[in-house]
This record gives sequence, C-alpha cells and structure tokens, in this order.
Amino acid sequence: MNKPLADPVPASIDEAQVRWAAEYAAQVGHDRPVQNRSGIPIKPLYTPLDVDPARFDTDVGFPGQPPYTRGIYATMHRGRTWTQRQLIGLGTPAEYNARLRDILDQGASAVSLIPCNSVFRGYDMDEVDEELLGTCGVVVNSADHMTTCLDGVDLSTTSCAMNDPSPFTLLAFMLATARRRGVDWRTISGTSNQSDYLSHFVANHMFFRLALPGARRVLTDHIAWCGEHVPRWNPLSVVGQHMQQAGATPAEAMAFTLSSALQYADDCVAAGMSPDAFLPRFTFFFDISISFFEEIAKFRAGRRIWARLTRERYGARDPRSWRFKFHGQTSGVDLTRQQPLNNIARVAAQAMAGIFGGLQSLHTDAYDEALSCPTQFGARIAVATQNILREEAHLTDVIDPLGGSYFVESLTDEMEARILAIIDEVEAAGGMYRAVESGMVQRRIGESARMHQGRIDSGAQTVVGVNAYRVDEDASARPALPKPDPAGMRAHVRGFADWKARRSASAVDRALADLARTAQATGTGGGNLFGQVVAAADVGCTHGEICGTLRRELGFGHPLVVV
Amino acid sequence: MKRADPKGGAGAPSGVDKRVAAIRAGHRATIARAITEIENDLPQSGALSAAIAADIGRAHVVGITGAPGAGKSTLINALLQQYAARGRRVAVAAIDPSSPITGGAVLGDRIRMGSSGGADGVFIRSLASRGHAGGLARATRRIVDLLDAAGFDVVIVETVGAGQSDVDIASLADTSVVVCPPGLGDDVQAIKAGILEIADVLVVNKGDQPLADRTERELDDMLHLRARRPGWRVRVLRTTATTGEGVSALVDTLDAHAAEAGVGRRRRQAATPPPGDAVSDTLRRFCESDPYQRLNAIEFVESAPGSATMRMRVGKSHLNFNGKCHGGAIFCLADSAFGIAANQYGVIAAGIDTHMTFQVAVSEGDVLTARSTEVSRTAKLAIYRVDVTRGDGTVVSSFTGTVYLTTRRHAPHLTP
Amino acid sequence: MKTRPKVLITKIGLDGHDRGSRIVAAHLRDAGMEVVYTPPWQEIGNVVKLAVEEDVDVIGVSSLATDHLIVPKLMAALREADLSDVAVIVGGIVPDEDEQALLDAGVARVFHPGSPLEDIAAYIVEATARVRAARFPALDAIR
Repeated sequence: MNKPLADPVPASIDEAQVRWAAEYAAQVGHDRPVQNRSGIPIKPLYTPLDVDPARFDTDVGFPGQPPYTRGIYATMHRGRTWTQRQLIGLGTPAEYNARLRDILDQGASAVSLIPCNSVFRGYDMDEVDEELLGTCGVVVNSADHMTTCLDGVDLSTTSCAMNDPSPFTLLAFMLATARRRGVDWRTISGTSNQSDYLSHFVANHMFFRLALPGARRVLTDHIAWCGEHVPRWNPLSVVGQHMQQAGATPAEAMAFTLSSALQYADDCVAAGMSPDAFLPRFTFFFDISISFFEEIAKFRAGRRIWARLTRERYGARDPRSWRFKFHGQTSGVDLTRQQPLNNIARVAAQAMAGIFGGLQSLHTDAYDEALSCPTQFGARIAVATQNILREEAHLTDVIDPLGGSYFVESLTDEMEARILAIIDEVEAAGGMYRAVESGMVQRRIGESARMHQGRIDSGAQTVVGVNAYRVDEDASARPALPKPDPAGMRAHVRGFADWKARRSASAVDRALADLARTAQATGTGGGNLFGQVVAAADVGCTHGEICGTLRRELGFGHPLVVV
Repeated sequence: MKRADPKGGAGAPSGVDKRVAAIRAGHRATIARAITEIENDLPQSGALSAAIAADIGRAHVVGITGAPGAGKSTLINALLQQYAARGRRVAVAAIDPSSPITGGAVLGDRIRMGSSGGADGVFIRSLASRGHAGGLARATRRIVDLLDAAGFDVVIVETVGAGQSDVDIASLADTSVVVCPPGLGDDVQAIKAGILEIADVLVVNKGDQPLADRTERELDDMLHLRARRPGWRVRVLRTTATTGEGVSALVDTLDAHAAEAGVGRRRRQAATPPPGDAVSDTLRRFCESDPYQRLNAIEFVESAPGSATMRMRVGKSHLNFNGKCHGGAIFCLADSAFGIAANQYGVIAAGIDTHMTFQVAVSEGDVLTARSTEVSRTAKLAIYRVDVTRGDGTVVSSFTGTVYLTTRRHAPHLTP
Repeated sequence: MKTRPKVLITKIGLDGHDRGSRIVAAHLRDAGMEVVYTPPWQEIGNVVKLAVEEDVDVIGVSSLATDHLIVPKLMAALREADLSDVAVIVGGIVPDEDEQALLDAGVARVFHPGSPLEDIAAYIVEATARVRAARFPALDAIR
C-alpha cells in the first residue's frame, strides 16, 4: 500500500501554515517575487500570524476614534457618502457656468473650478498667446468673471473648491461675488485646493507663481485671514497628488505630504497661531493610483500617523485637529491613450481604492483625459461611475469593509513604517522647506518615476493596450477634442479690454499700491497680505495685476528642476 | 569697451574667410557651429582657429569654479546682469559633467543661469566634459579664443568644480574666481586642499546664510597665513546672488584684477604651439622613427610633456579572425601614446608594466584616438593613464602603464 | 560624423507638467546623448536662441495640455532663424486632428503617450545622422 495520508485537518495554525507553504511551493514551483510600487514585498498569503491582535485596540480601533485607522467619523460612508466633486473648466465664464449646471444636475454635490493655464501662470488673457486661452480651463481674470461662473449657485450652501495657487485671487473674486449678492462670508465653505506651494515647487511647477519665501509668507497670512473672516473655508489643502503624479511612490507621496503639513503647521505656530485654531482647517488631496491595496493601506496609514503627530507634536486637543480629511482624485497617469474606453475600468478600480481608503471627497477622471482635456460625455461617465459604485455595488453599506483583513492590516503597518522612515529623513534634512530647497525631494521623486517607467518599458508592469494586449485601433473611435468656441472667446477678450478701460483706474492704482506696500513691509507690521488681495479684487483689480504686483515685490517663482 | 555686436540670424556663410568675417561680426550661428567643430575636433576647425589667431587676447577671461551647490550658476546670472548694466557683452562656456558610464550628459547650467541667458548681449554655450580632462582643457582654450575673436568683452568659463580639470581650465583664465558656499571649517579645509590655490578672487556666495560671516573670516585667515606673492592681493568677497548684493563690487574687483594682471597672458602661456613648429616637428620625427607605429598606421596628433594624443584608423590589416579590430592593434595605439607622453623629459623612459581593458568591440573604419595623461611622477617612476575612444566619444579601452625613468638621454635629433 | 546627438528638451506655452520631459531627458542622457534641458514655459524666442547657441541636432517639445497649438509658431520662428535643418519632435498629448497640422508645419514626428523611450531615442539617433550629414557633408569622406 501507499504511505498513510496525513490527517486532512491540521492540528494547529502553525502546522497549517507549514503544510500550506509546502503545498504552495510544490505547486507554484519557482515563485515570482512581487512588490508594490512603494517597494514593499507582497507575500502570496496573509494569515492571523501576520497581525498582532493586541494592536487592534491601539492601532485599528473604531471609526471616529483616534487613531482613525478605520475612518475619521463614526458614521463614515454609511451615514454620509463622499462629496462628488468634479473638476471642470473650459472656455469663457458663461461656458463654464452652463457646464457647471449640467454637472450639478447629474448629481455632483459641490463646485470646483479649474482656471485656464494662463490664470495658473498668473497672467491675464491679454498677456498670453490667444491660441491657448480657455483650452484647459476657464478664463477668469476678475470678480465680474467669477460672478458669471457662479451664476445660479447658492454660495451659502454649496461647497466650492478653487484651484487657486498663491495669492488666492479666485477666492478673493468669489468673496467679492458673495458680497455683491449679500451672502455672509461666515457661511461660505470650500477649499483653497492649490495652496500647497511646496508641492508646486517640487512637482507641479505650473502652479508655482511666487519665489519660495514670498509664497511661504502669503500662505501663512492666508491661513490666518481665512480663520478670522471665512471660518468655514479650508485655506490649506496639502497635496500629495502632484508628487505622486510626478512619479513619487504612494509611500513617498504620503510621507512628503505629511512632511509638508508639518512644515505649514510649524510656520503657523511660529506666526503665533494656536494649533487648535488652524489644524481643523487643514485638508489633504491625494492621487489614487490603480495599485489597489497599496492605495487603501496608504490612506489608512496616513490617517493614523496624522492623528498621532497632531497630538504628540503640537499638543492639539480638539479632535477636529486630529482628523485627516482628504479629497481623492483618480490618477490620470495610469490612463492610456490606447483603447481609451479601458480607462473607464481603470477609473472604477481607482475610485474603489479611494472609497475603501475612507476618503471625504472624490473626483473621478474622465476616460478621455489621456487624449485631451475631458469632454462633457467623458465627464458624465465619470460621475456615473461614482453613482454606480455607491448605489448599485453598495460599497458604502459597511464602514471600512476591509478592516481586519490580514493583508490590509499588515500592509497598513508596513506602509506606515515606510512613510515614517521617509518623514524622518525629511526632518533630518531640516524639514520640508529645506528639503525641497536643496532638491532632495525632487531627486528622489525623479528616481522613482524613472523606475516605474522602466518597469513598464521592460514589461514587468503590464499596461493593457500599451505593452500587452495591444489591438489595432480605429483612430476615428477617439472622441473629438473640445475646443472653446472661438467667437465666444474673442468676445470675452474684447469685453475684458472694454471693461478695463471703463473701471476706476485710480481705485485700482491705489489698491495695487497698498498691496505693494504691504508686501514690502517685513515682519508682522505690514498687515495681512491676503487681506490686501481681497480688497484689491473687490475694487476691480485683475488677476494679472495682483499676481504681477506680488511677483515684482516678492520674486517670480522659479521651480528647482532636477533631472 | 564696446566692441562688435553679436547678432543671431540667418545665412550661415561658408568658406573660411567668410566664416571668420561672420565670427568677427558676432554672428551667433556661425560661432555656435564653429564651437561644435572644435568640440568634436573636426578637421575644418584647425583652419578657423589658425585664421582667428590674430584676433585673440582682448577679451577678459574669467574662470568660475567651486564645488557643486556653491551657487556658481546663480552667481553667473547676477554677473551677467551686472555686466549688461555696464554695457558689456559676455559669452559663457558652461561645462557640465558627462556620465563616466554612458558618456551622456544633462546640460542644465545655462538654465540655472536664469533669465539673463535670453538677453541679446549674452551668448551661452554648454559643453559636456566627456571624461577627458586634458582634451577638454585644450578644446576649451580654443573655444575661449573663438569667443574672444567674436568680440565679446568678457568670456566666463564655468567648470564642474571637481579637482584637477578645474585647475587645468583655470589656467587659461585671466582671473580665476573660486565660489565657496557658507559652511563649516572642514569644508573650507577641503577647498584649501584643492582648487583654492588657483584663486585670484574668493567669493562667499549665499552671503545671507548664517554661516557666511564665519566662512568669510576663515578664508581671510587662511589667506593671511599664506606667503604673499608679489603683485595681486587675493581678496575674499561676499555676494548674495539671488538678490544681487555684492555683485557690483565683485565686477569692480574683477576689472581691477584685469587691469593689474592684464588679459590674454595666461592663454598665451598655455597655448600649445600650432602644428608645424619646432617641437611638433621633433615629436613627429620621434614617432616616425618608430617602425612598429608606422607598421600599424598610427599617427601623431599632439602632445605636451606628460601627455600625448595619437590616432589610428582601423583598416583591414588591423582585424582579427572575427572581423573586429585586433586587441594587439589597440594596445599598440595606447602604448604609443603612453610612450610619447613619458619620453618628453629628455631621458629615456622604459615601460615596465601595463594593464589594459577592452570594453567595446571596434570595427573596420572606426577612427580610434588614444589620449595619455600623467597620473603621477617621481624621480624614478611615472604612471600614465590612456583612454582609447572611438569617433562617437565611446571609451573602447582603458590602459594604465608605469615607466622607469633611466638616466640615459635620447639621441640628440630626437630631443625635444 | 559619428558623435553623440545633442538634443534640446523643452516646453513652451503655459502648462507646467514636466514629468514627461524630465523622464525623456534622463533617458536620453543614459542613452549617451548630450541633453540641454529647460524647465517649462520657455518663450519661443528663447528656444530659438538656445537652439542656435547650443547648435543642437534635435529639439524635443513636450506638450500635455494644448500647448502643442503654438508649436507652428515655434516652427516659423526656427525657419526665420535659418534653423530649418533641426529636427523637431513633439511628445505628449496631441489629439489626432491636430497631429497633421503639426506635421504640415514641419514637425518631424509626434510621439504619443505610451511611446517606449527606446523608440524615441532610436528616432533621435536616426534624425541626428540626417541632420549631421547635411551640416557636415564632407566628413564621411574624411573619416
């Protein structure tokens, strides 16, 4: 007879583990090593042996309770789902307004505004090549333009996100709009989405308008001023998205973002603010890549680290200061030009990672982003994707449904350790401001970007339709590029010139002179710079004039580019 | 002070005379193309260099060196603005390191020089070091001569900031500026050990940083300890390139040095004599007297005591059974450069040990260049390094060799 | 003349997304080329000045957010400066309907997202050989 069979039921978990490992090795043969984008080795199986049950109380806990691993609110998505925030912007303010109303009708619950690249660079429409006007965002140069953009939107009930780098003219224009409509500033809510100048200096160079010291001063003033005058506004959104888009691994993106937040908090403390006054208004903004479990673990780990740092480093006592609120945007880097409809599936997977990661607000990319600025058709599918995940797939019925998964908890621990190690490196370099000044962060991100590209080029990382599963495509199947209506844009440019000629030149000159004087004054004696920006916007100064004045006084922003 | 007006634009002329006229008139495209020819050692560059020989020695050549991160590029940006304010036209040759492995380079210095590079009165050219310190110094001297002939008032040479190559390149500057970032005493010591010796002016840049005071003091102390040479007194200046502070005073000091030490002198000293003069003739004879070199069709290119460049076009007779260049032929080329470099001190140098690696296969038709440089030299022994490169700049073989220096002298007709 | 390609990698217009241009520049360096790299937002006049002074063989323009629309202006400025022999390539997001307009304006080739870096490098080597052969016609005979 053959030798007797082993008992089919193992006597202990240890024996089970050993037996599984032997069978796995025998059947797989030569196991391929797997690691995630952050470089963490991924095993084929996770078991109770990978998690320490004693840490459940301290490190995992319950939603709404520190360290918030399972979510920052007790109800999480079961109570209130995330805010559906679609970034849109194209053409003239009138075109934007029409598109905005369409998106709100489709189920989006908040406003966001992407200005034209000319606005991002700090210029008015009469300072740039007209071919480029409005091709990637709305051309907003004045308070009047903002009033048109937001026509029909109730500013006291609708949360507004402004993609608005320092010196935050779009918020200033919006406040002028609110004042004209008689809306109390204290009821206005939303976020200055592009306030994180360190991330602009490192990775999103388009948004970097003022030299580092000037940008630092404007942001600190902005946080202080908003706390006093627009208390429901989030003046700071610390952005991991730019760095991850530039090539940072998910662990690096989380670590550098937290390091930036620490730098901003340090600066606020140095300016005399109390941690519990500004920390509750800090928000975060992340890229969600298609590395599914890694992204979920990234967010869970980030929440845990922030809850600890705010208490231990700043002595914050208000739980709102400990909560890591973040907006997630599905990553455009993962989208492909080849077989563009495949991007709908990618965006769905990315969005699921963000939802399981416990986000507060979500933007899903349109599938045609890799081809052009998104079309209206693409933007509708992106919103529908969110509705499907929430209401058809029921992803929100259970809070943190992956909590307790051996793999997810273990990966959360490993991501946390990796993130903390990078934060320590930045601290050793003198904090984030110094670390970006020296180029250390940029070099590291550049290296990671090239490694990832190398994995795609070598085929180690599959990208469907690019390095695998290629098909011959019919180019006519691709959507046409939306372009702003040229006649409308010409009228917009003409209208702007007429308006500039009509407005009170003396009021404008006075406001700009005040702004320049405040910028020249050093220390706290000169008054709040952002307060002067709001005043200038209100009397009819344009975006380009305000940015130009500050660039002259505080220096043009030249990012440090490291190849 | 104002000289020719360098212009860009259409219609690069052909013919040596026309091209020289265009260079003298400051025609950017012609200047740029001529630099390419010198950089790649193309045959036609020789005639141009010879034709402009009479025009050189008028520009003030300022060498700027210092460790990476010292702020050389931002300082140059500030200098360009200051020179522009004084109505001077400036050319910059900015040298960036090539990768020793791939030979590639990212030439980023001109971008760090910021907005000034766009100004009409400024001409910037980036050069990759290409791993040949000696060869680069020679090409750089010819490029500086060209920019001088093109009518620029000031020619700035920015170097990588890494040791001997900087010293070589600094030797062609009328005024050498060493840029030091504010740092601790150890850093200053490190500077002292190397390139500090060549400085006519020391600049503590990033003068707004906390350690700037201390660094300035330490450099001053160090200069006081040094034996004073007659003539120019080496000065320590402080600048903040980002704000422009101290830059006007720096230009005043550079002008003062040019007035006192003169311009063009060092380049004239460093210049290797053009082909056809006595020394080269002797060396050419030296090579022609070597039957084995003749057999392998190895030609002499140039040399100086301790260095030599030899060339060989790979022909059918150099091939091995695989159809590639025989290792022995490459060795012969490298050994010739080694021998010429070592035998220029009047005594017979006898090779006693060599090593060679073959990195890349060489094909028929490739032109190989062997450049030897002296690594060290004592009374009895000298060590040489020879790099053999292909036309595209790829290093195909690396050679090191040691000679024993005898007391016997060369035959009189072979003594340089 | 067999020499390393000298390439200018740049971005014109208003967009600042430079991940692509940095990855390409670094790859070309590792492929043994000499790369003059600029940050985004170069003025067209400055790109021309750079191309003249650096005597580059190839100019690579990266465009992700509609900046390709002013590439025809760059091509005109290069012609004006007698630099028609430089090969200009565009990489990034260029919609199909705009690609032909770029080629008509004199752009040598458009590389879309997903183009392998090796393909870009190989194309530059080829283009350099063509540019050099036209610039230094006598050289092949000499060497």
